[in-house]
Amino acid sequence: MQVTFKVYRKDPEGDGKPGRSTFTVELPDDANVMDGLLKIRDEMDGSLAFRASCLRGYCGECTMRINGKATFACTAKVSAFTKKGPEITLDPLRNIPVIKDLVFDWDAFLWNKIKAVKPWLEPNEAPASGENLLPDSVMKDLRQVMSCYYCGLCDEGCTVLPVDFNFLGPAALTKAYRVAFDPRDRDGKERLRIAEQPKGVWDCVHCFEASEHCPRGIQPTERILALRDKAFKVGISHEKVARHHKSFAASVKDSGWVDEGRLALESEGLTNIKGLMKLLPTAARALVRGKAPLPYLHAKRPGADQIKRIFEKGEQEEK
Amino acid sequence: MKEFDVLVVGGGASGLRAAIAAKGAGAKVALMSKVHPLRTNTGVAQGGLNAPLGNQDSPESFAEDTLLAGDGLCEPELVRGLTREASEEVIWLEHVGVPFNRDPEGRLDRRRFGANSHNRTCYADDRTGHIVLQVLHEQFQRAQIASFEEWYLTSLAVDGGTCLGAIGLGLRGGKLEAFGARAVVLATGGFTRLYLPSTASLGTTGDGLSLAFNAGAKLMDMEMIQFHPTVISKHPGLLITEAVLGEGAEIVDAKGERIHGTNGIPREKICRSIQQALQDGAESVCLDLRPIGKEKLISRFPQTHELVRAVAGMDISKEAVPIHPAAHRPMGGIETSAQGETSIAGLFAVGECASNGVNGAGRLAGNTLTEAMVFGRKVGEAAAGHAASAPKRSFPIARLSDEEKRLAALTSKEPANDSSGKIHTELGKLMSEKVGLIRDQGGLKLALEQIQELKARYQRLRVTNPSRIYNYQLTSHLEIGSLLCVAEVVALAAQARRESRGAHRRADFPARDDQNWRCHTLVSLVNSAPQLKQKPVGIPG
Repeated sequence: MQVTFKVYRKDPEGDGKPGRSTFTVELPDDANVMDGLLKIRDEMDGSLAFRASCLRGYCGECTMRINGKATFACTAKVSAFTKKGPEITLDPLRNIPVIKDLVFDWDAFLWNKIKAVKPWLEPNEAPASGENLLPDSVMKDLRQVMSCYYCGLCDEGCTVLPVDFNFLGPAALTKAYRVAFDPRDRDGKERLRIAEQPKGVWDCVHCFEASEHCPRGIQPTERILALRDKAFKVGISHEKVARHHKSFAASVKDSGWVDEGRLALESEGLTNIKGLMKLLPTAARALVRGKAPLPYLHAKRPGADQIKRIFEKGEQEEK
Repeated sequence: MKEFDVLVVGGGASGLRAAIAAKGAGAKVALMSKVHPLRTNTGVAQGGLNAPLGNQDSPESFAEDTLLAGDGLCEPELVRGLTREASEEVIWLEHVGVPFNRDPEGRLDRRRFGANSHNRTCYADDRTGHIVLQVLHEQFQRAQIASFEEWYLTSLAVDGGTCLGAIGLGLRGGKLEAFGARAVVLATGGFTRLYLPSTASLGTTGDGLSLAFNAGAKLMDMEMIQFHPTVISKHPGLLITEAVLGEGAEIVDAKGERIHGTNGIPREKICRSIQQALQDGAESVCLDLRPIGKEKLISRFPQTHELVRAVAGMDISKEAVPIHPAAHRPMGGIETSAQGETSIAGLFAVGECASNGVNGAGRLAGNTLTEAMVFGRKVGEAAAGHAASAPKRSFPIARLSDEEKRLAALTSKEPANDSSGKIHTELGKLMSEKVGLIRDQGGLKLALEQIQELKARYQRLRVTNPSRIYNYQLTSHLEIGSLLCVAEVVALAAQARRESRGAHRRADFPARDDQNWRCHTLVSLVNSAPQLKQKPVGIPG
């Protein structure tokens, strides 16, 4: 079958501006997009740059957007993408800097961020002989997380990265989870401290796009939330957002609904005079409009006691 | 110019292990890899790695199984070394974080795999290679070793029989750089892309073998290439781990009848059973995983289930998959001693690119990753030791400009009607047909002639892309050159060995001939022509 590929081009040795090349190739009916790319480079345009390694969906190297869908070129059947027309457009992933054509800057996008979370075990003292005895349930969770093949699709879907490229991102934070939740790491808190820094777990807006995008079902968003929970439990939670979460939960537990005044104060921190001063203009405007919530003088909702019991039960179970 | 004590080339399991060990032994180490370590071929390994950890098991039993799989060609000392140290390496992997599957007591679980007589294969689901690779890379980063990722090794600097370093092309920056090193460790992987269709990653093209061979090293047992029995026939082909056979999967013909002789025996015997069935008229041979049970299948082999669906559009819990044997991995490679030394001083080799005699004529399933760990550590330490005592010699810096000229001469804007891809397609088909599972003199002679023709075409071929930045047309061109070099050596060795042993089958010499052939084949360049010698088994290297 004849297929026309419209491929994104960018030449760092030329004008560096994005462009597009069109190639029409003859391919077998069961060909993948990767077969098309390899044939183009071999027979038509040796300057076309794209990465490839395993050729069968194992390694995460050949991610790109095919007709707008972020996936792997090596498992993307051409016939599946030509149902609506004989043209296939190939584009870079979202959020990713491009070096040349479809060769992306994985260092900036992924590898450097992963390095930043110190993604290795500092092993515990080894048992006297043999392996650490551990239940498979714990290992299974780690195997699930480590099925990650660094395809970048979670970061590609992330809604924070376009706004702040320095956000560590779901892939790196999932790697932080891998170490923080491995009982063989000597200091599980180290990764939590790193993940908890600015640009870390608290910059995630839990839009769940990462979990939607992950082709392996690793659920990066849930892993980020688990890191937050763990950080709380071990007392690493001095960031403003962590205070916000704590205050939110506390007022709902006490009264069945959010005490906005208390929330504003406790998020800043009750001893944070500078931060509290910043709230004054907003508080004044709210007061004038009769909308100032009085902190701590907050009526209980009907059913507040039941809500309190739910919290208590949850806290019990966690112990 | 960059200077190191030890330069490791290749970022897969054995390279990472060697780099970590060399650093641990006090050397200043650098790693060079043409793809990022996490994209290397190690990641496609699935089944597991062997260690004699069971109560009933022992290094002796493990050694026996390894020797049997090697069909009389293994170096016994090396097998003893491997089987003695396997457990320590696997336990080390566990300590540094590999989340192996566990038994109900929380100990490392072990599965039955291939022709192992005990359950001794430790595993992490069906993605052991992928997970072990990640943990090795984690520890590699922890050791803060200089890492040159996406750097292509273009030549070794060998002077008067001593290796002084290497020259690499940085794909991102497009610059050629000289790397002075007192010890270079090649961990560049195998050459399974020689055969098409292939189960190997795109870059598995024997670059290290070709460079070492052309620099004067010897290639050993190159005719010994293991074929894997359970490779999906649908393009692009996907290897299903043989571990499924140990868990209850069956190889059946189109009618669903079990094919005789396909479980618990060495791979090449299973391959020949399948081949025979196809030749006897079976329309297809299938792998039926349904006997494992859907729940167990998805829980034990999650990646297999996912990838077969992604790659072939089939659900292995519902239907049997057509399979065929395909070239999988070489037992042969650069001849080395037990410490990974080649015949060139300062040049070491480890992993798939090396042949120290531990595999002989056939590798026991589950040994590859174990070897990468055991020998990776040994060779890394040996390289560090060598670097510490080797006299300092300056890198022949003139080689850098020679290399610039050589690469520039490969480039020409003139359009060609030939291409490296076309040469590769023809070569891959030729090797599969004439130097495949079963060989004979007529086919091998033809193969050698056609390889010469392909080589001549390759000499005339030029690279049209003049850029050095991510110029994969150039690297592909160089890789095809490596494959052509390797192809000739494989065919020569296969032609020379007039017997059948392990993975090497001659239709015209179907019996094993210990009297004349209980020895390794060694091919080296003498006056620019390949020459073959024999090396009896048991001679210390």
